[in-house]
Amino acid sequence: MDHIELSLTQSLDHCIKCNICTSACPVAAVTDKFPGPKYVGPQAQRFRRAGQPVPDDSVDYCSGCRVCNQVCPTGVRIAELNARARAQIVAERGLPLRNALIARSELIGRLSCGPHAPLVNFGLGFKPARWAVDKVLGIHQDAPLPRASRSSFRAWFARRRRSLDARSPGTPAQPSRQVVYFHGCATNYYEPEVGKAAVAVLERNGFEVILAEQNCCGLPLLSNGAFADARKLHEANVRKLLPYVRRGIPVVGTSTSCTLTLKEEAPELLGLSSEEVHAVAAGTYDIFEFLRDLADRDQLNTEFRPVERRLPYHPPCQLRAHRIGRPVLDILALVPGLRLDESRNECCGIAGTYGLKREKYQIGMDVGAGLFAFVRGSGSDLALCDSETCRWQITHGTGVRSKHPIEILAEAYG
Amino acid sequence: MHYDTIVIGAGLAGLMAALARAERGERVLLLAKGHGTTHWTSGCIDLLDAGDDPLAAIGRLAAEQPEHPYALAGTVALEQGLERLRAACEAAGYPLAGSPGRNVRLPTALGALRPTCLLPATMVAGEARQLADGRPTLIAGFHELRDFFPPLIAANLRDQGLHAEAAYLGLPPVERSHEFGPMIFARLFERTDFRAAIGEQLATLVRRGGYARVGLPAVLGVRRATEVVRDLQARAGALVFEIPTLPTSVPGVRLFQALHDAFLAAGGRVQLGSFVLRGEGAAATLTVIISEAAAREQRHRALRFVLATGGVAGGGLRADHTGVLQETALGLPVRAPGGPSEWFAPRFLDEAGHPIFRAGIAVDDQLRPLDAAGRVAYHNVAVAGSAIAGCDPIREGCLEGVAIATGWKAGLL
Repeated sequence: MDHIELSLTQSLDHCIKCNICTSACPVAAVTDKFPGPKYVGPQAQRFRRAGQPVPDDSVDYCSGCRVCNQVCPTGVRIAELNARARAQIVAERGLPLRNALIARSELIGRLSCGPHAPLVNFGLGFKPARWAVDKVLGIHQDAPLPRASRSSFRAWFARRRRSLDARSPGTPAQPSRQVVYFHGCATNYYEPEVGKAAVAVLERNGFEVILAEQNCCGLPLLSNGAFADARKLHEANVRKLLPYVRRGIPVVGTSTSCTLTLKEEAPELLGLSSEEVHAVAAGTYDIFEFLRDLADRDQLNTEFRPVERRLPYHPPCQLRAHRIGRPVLDILALVPGLRLDESRNECCGIAGTYGLKREKYQIGMDVGAGLFAFVRGSGSDLALCDSETCRWQITHGTGVRSKHPIEILAEAYG
Repeated sequence: MHYDTIVIGAGLAGLMAALARAERGERVLLLAKGHGTTHWTSGCIDLLDAGDDPLAAIGRLAAEQPEHPYALAGTVALEQGLERLRAACEAAGYPLAGSPGRNVRLPTALGALRPTCLLPATMVAGEARQLADGRPTLIAGFHELRDFFPPLIAANLRDQGLHAEAAYLGLPPVERSHEFGPMIFARLFERTDFRAAIGEQLATLVRRGGYARVGLPAVLGVRRATEVVRDLQARAGALVFEIPTLPTSVPGVRLFQALHDAFLAAGGRVQLGSFVLRGEGAAATLTVIISEAAAREQRHRALRFVLATGGVAGGGLRADHTGVLQETALGLPVRAPGGPSEWFAPRFLDEAGHPIFRAGIAVDDQLRPLDAAGRVAYHNVAVAGSAIAGCDPIREGCLEGVAIATGWKAGLL
């Protein structure tokens, strides 16, 4: 029994059946295909035994948003129980082809991104093609898919580095501080502008940005229950990032889901407790968490130009799961003229790959309905959110453009 | 980030303290492990289970027990806190009825009559003196809602000389086939089509039985409960009142939301899922508190702190395996009644209650925590709610009153 399994088993006894989790669960509120965190978590867990059939499939309808963990008054780790239960189902029955495909975000990104991206985007925007994919694979024909970029973020970064080197050969700038940027699959293949903004912000704060070798954090595999494959990805990331962490160089990411996976989800769900895994986890930061730490030490560059805007902001579930408050609100409050209205809705409904699935798409849209109404009601033509799949879902549900908050901060640096 | 005040705990005491400080213009962070005991309790405000006039009884109690939280908080903080709570509920379209000078009795989900003081308008028609007016009362519910049995409630009310009958209502067609908790019902009751179908059944029952009023489980809407009750009354042709259910308590959630909304409107920040592990300070001044977070701990700085993490029941106090009581957030010294052998009365439902529930943090009249020698442990910490020693809030029937009085006082200091 690994440490997480032990803590999960022990946390079962902390459940006092008060149903606060079920009352707060955004999925149970809109469908009874998911009976609620209490039932599939601490209650069903008592009937899950190695070598025995899984007692109930409904755990697959858990979106993994972790709202239950946040509201539980007694500290039961419900979301982790559910994730492990799903992995047990996958271990017994195998991963459905559809899930095996959508969980490999890096592979799909690599195949989509490049000069042929317009063709890919046309194909994915072509209704009959989406209809066929829906029928054959079970990816809902209306689900929000990102638009592939013609050039990857890493390609941009390499070109930029070459041109910087060409301009000032032999005299590399010597910033006193370095960070490793963890871009994740979405920034690399779909939204390179997020990475460009992150590089601009970090450089304005005197950091040299290192683009270390890295791979997918493995979250899509984890949330689809494919733990063995997720483990390979996480161990590869630990190998690639550890040398930097050992030298005291922090790993900073813009995808709050990737940073949460490196910090906690992968080690905890996979039961990885080596010193190396801990070191990488402890050295990884969500970018606004990192900037807030700088601000706390009076080291943040606050020479912002005014941004006279009022924007709706949705703190995604994965950010809340860091349990670090609202660093975006803390930092963007320093920008003159900028005002954010925080969404009070728990979840946008997409939950990574959850809302893409044919049988779960409508649940995702129903979960997100409150957030969509909030964003539309703001009258703004732009919404902010720290997680990529949530941004795509918000735009899908509202028609309102969405950006990562780092893009606004980069604008404020001018 | 630097805050003026950090409040630990999101129950009634913590919410009141956080609201008071935010409305003074402070930067306030409300940090909590999860949702607080609001979600477990009736949604009514108990002041003291002692006769008809709780306010007068609190005055006498304070004179007799100078270390009781009510004595330390003072009645001004209690009355001001109650006024602020009423205003917050009023602003949420969810007015509270009653007066601090008068206890009323309301039926529970077992049909017992329980004293309380302030009550939501949605429960007023179930007040015991009205039930005793000789006209018949219908108690109605749903087979689908667990732990709420109209026949049991009505039978117990009849045993107390009240004219009550029971009926189960048919569930109107909804897209659900199973899983009907209180919050699910509360959301259904916000739908007009659902209310119309229920109202029709109630009207038939009321016509046949000549009922003056109908008691329903307290699941009549989340954010629009007053409106839902008014609408049901019009449809049923009788008064409608709510009876608190077992947790999750929808009226408790409404109280939480009213105060939470008021706190956010005053510029406050809320962070849930954050268990406070310990504090750091020097020279009896707390400077930093540390909460559990992904991969590493989070440090929070503030000028002052309010500890509102609850007592034994709320999780603010924990016994370790050696029988030592710990205060979980800051490790403050706990005043407990001797060793484990002295914690419990011999009988489970002992009239005098169990001594362990009087355990807590000893505080001075500024609600500052005291150490074993009676010295102030931290000058910039106030303790509020059930975490304070010297009171068994559930047994004494003062859970909400003590939370409001001490929470508001912590906000004024």
